[in-house]
Amino acid sequence: MDEIKTTVRRSAWDRFKAFLYLVGEFFAEFCRDIRDGDVWVRLSLLVFGAGYFARKQYVKGLLVTAFQAFVFIFYPTVLWPYLSKFGTLGTVKRAAVFNPVTMKNEVNDYDHSFMILLFGLIAILVIVAMLVFWVKNLRAVRRLQVLAESGKKVNTFADDIREMLNKKFYITLLALPSLGVTLFTIVPLLVMLCVAFTNYDQTHMVPTSLFTWVGFANFKTLFTHSQTITFGYSFGKVITWTLIWAVFATSTNFIFGILLAMFINNKKTLWKGLWRTLFVVAIAVPQFVSLLLVRNFFANTGIVNTICANIGLTGFLKQIGLVSQGSAYIPFLTDPVWAKVMIILINMWVGIPYLMLIATGILMNIPQDILESARIDGANALQSFRKITMPYILFVTGPYLVSSFTANINNFNVIYLLTNDVFVTKDQMLANSNAQEVDLLITWLYRLTQNYYNYKMASVLGILIFIISAAFTVFAFRKLIQGDREERFQ
Amino acid sequence: MKRFLAMLLAVCMLLSLVTLAVADDTVNLLVWVGDDLDQDWINGVIENFKAANPDTTFDIKVGIVSEANSAATAMTDITAAADVYSIADDRLGDLVTAGALQPISLNTEDIIARNTTGSVAAATVDGTLYAYPATADNGYFMFYSKAYFTEEDVLTLDKMMEVAAANGKTVTMDWSSGWYLYSFFQGAGLEMTLSDDNTTNICNWNATDTPITGVQVVEAMLAIAANPGFINLTDSEFTTGIKDGSVIAGVNGTWNATVAQDAWGDDYAATKLPTYTVAGEQVQMASFSGYKLVGVNAYSANVGWAMMFADYMTNEESQLSRFLLRNQGPSNLAAGASEEVQASPAIAALAAQSAYATTQRVGSNYWTPSSTLGTIIYGGNADGTDLQTLLDNLVAGVTAPVN
Repeated sequence: MDEIKTTVRRSAWDRFKAFLYLVGEFFAEFCRDIRDGDVWVRLSLLVFGAGYFARKQYVKGLLVTAFQAFVFIFYPTVLWPYLSKFGTLGTVKRAAVFNPVTMKNEVNDYDHSFMILLFGLIAILVIVAMLVFWVKNLRAVRRLQVLAESGKKVNTFADDIREMLNKKFYITLLALPSLGVTLFTIVPLLVMLCVAFTNYDQTHMVPTSLFTWVGFANFKTLFTHSQTITFGYSFGKVITWTLIWAVFATSTNFIFGILLAMFINNKKTLWKGLWRTLFVVAIAVPQFVSLLLVRNFFANTGIVNTICANIGLTGFLKQIGLVSQGSAYIPFLTDPVWAKVMIILINMWVGIPYLMLIATGILMNIPQDILESARIDGANALQSFRKITMPYILFVTGPYLVSSFTANINNFNVIYLLTNDVFVTKDQMLANSNAQEVDLLITWLYRLTQNYYNYKMASVLGILIFIISAAFTVFAFRKLIQGDREERFQ
Repeated sequence: MKRFLAMLLAVCMLLSLVTLAVADDTVNLLVWVGDDLDQDWINGVIENFKAANPDTTFDIKVGIVSEANSAATAMTDITAAADVYSIADDRLGDLVTAGALQPISLNTEDIIARNTTGSVAAATVDGTLYAYPATADNGYFMFYSKAYFTEEDVLTLDKMMEVAAANGKTVTMDWSSGWYLYSFFQGAGLEMTLSDDNTTNICNWNATDTPITGVQVVEAMLAIAANPGFINLTDSEFTTGIKDGSVIAGVNGTWNATVAQDAWGDDYAATKLPTYTVAGEQVQMASFSGYKLVGVNAYSANVGWAMMFADYMTNEESQLSRFLLRNQGPSNLAAGASEEVQASPAIAALAAQSAYATTQRVGSNYWTPSSTLGTIIYGGNADGTDLQTLLDNLVAGVTAPVN
């Protein structure tokens, strides 16, 4: 065991060293290019296109220079005003005076903290990108010089285009998606990361008010437990339930889905198609419709409670102490313990059919010869299930299990739709930080932003959710899925 | 992520608004009213407004965002909210803090003079009028069926529960909402209001040195919760209960008046809240006097015309037509004095309750803790927590600084 750990540690250290080496090499190459390059290459440090003009690549030279000019004009006029205020996130508050003559408000030139944060961040990213481009560009023109000097063919613009459509087609294909991911995922993610270090909340709402950096204060709040600040208490409760929920939601669906598929797949089962269709119908109804309906069924005055009261179940549960004496109904979705159990049960109902479908496919694909030879060797049904079927299913569904565990950590729909407007917490500590017993981190985050505009704490929660999900996924993929398991079924 | 997109969208919208404003003289306004059923009324108001201002071209669009949600929707991105929108008065403080509302600077004196003092107070923050009073009917009172109760019976809650229990029926109120819970504590002389900063609350519900202590109120409520004639029902459960006959009286507001009227027919009646027993005395239940207000977006491109329209939308004529079409009680003095309005039982009940009603001045930290307290009490305080501790926790949460 110790040996494995050291290898892992060493390899991580090696990777880090390799990374440092690459960074060093990047700059070393840059210096060598300047040292060895001719005057055109060196001029490319100032005018990006110079090196291309020298090798008669006029279109490329023009494009690169035009891009440089665009950035150099765009940057000071558009991005710099934001970047210059990035340190304070703005100081001038909005002030408006109504002018009865024009019938409009006259507004001062005020700072918008969120815009400053957003565009300031983009400005920083643009600087980094331009630096990389500057170095890479030098590399490219130096290569051109070497090519030209050694008398080899220098690509024309048409050649370059052709190359982009053939040899380097992957670059053309991936350009748009990467740009999209950067703009719509990475930038907002970084913005969210930054918000966690500001005081952006209900009392600092843009554009009327300003917000500013507060360092790690919000993280401190999240782990504080006093009578007025109960975030620490709530966080402990919520994360515990989040993990319990994720384990139960994933495992129950998995186990019962496979069992169901096996029952249906069994040789003795008649009308296989009918059963499958029956369960698939549960998928056909949109999840949120079923969940909202079920929420009404199990309401305190809902139909299930009426039935339970009429057949005497409510009375019986009172006698054995599962329902408190004063209650006229079974608190399916209003008592913390009942609600948690109900949520897991209802989730099984909406989730098992999916697993059944997946498992059916896998079961049909198990190499029959393995099962056959096991049977000839005298293995009974249970043994071949334990030694062949189950390992095979686990092997094939491993990645699915890991991803569904992470998905369940963030399973907003089931929890929110079943408990919103119905569940009221009886724990005053939770109530003080707007959390509930049945909340997952993600539903708590949602309530904090949507109802209380507490963006700073929501961002802190968002970061923690990310860390938890990422850590688990990395761990699970490395420990559970990799290894020698692939060979076993070869 | 969403915020980023919303910001971009907002910028685009602002830019397009600016270009549009340059392009022609048409005044574009977006108005949010609370209910789909308000459409006929608001369209009539728009036509009248256009007729009253023939020199200007208007393009007035109507959107439906309920008064309960409009503030939350607006605050998600106040630059993208409607130019004119209806709000419930309890959200005024939050909107003003967020800078979403334009201080009213046109025709202000007339607006103050023509509406009830309570409604003007509800639309005012720190001496500045931030919204136009539109209705004075957003408070709560007691509905009851004359088939079961006499006018004598509905004076005390004890008698009402006794009658209901004897008939196997129930009297209801929503204790899972801090809005109704306030009734008991305020009635007993305890205090819960907004401090001068307009966001944090002042609350002494855990007081031990008042004539009636907080613990005594909770004890009284525990007794009510244990009474077979009482049931805790949310707003939607209230309507179900009335329709299926299990509920014969309940605390609710004008928005459910038609439901009760349809179910009970001629037996439908409404009155002020009853008294309840606390520490051996009868204490009158208090209430929040709720108002619907009309606010003008401070970021509106046509803020002047938006104010003119909001002014028109809440004048005597518009309020009266709103009452006739939608049964919503006016805040306008002249409209309120009209015969039609005086004849409505719900409005009469609200007027009777108004002596015991206070304007709603509540910060956002009130709602979750109070809702939790109500739920604990209705559940009979199952954990057996010390009642003073319950109240101390409540006060800690309610008065905690916002965020």
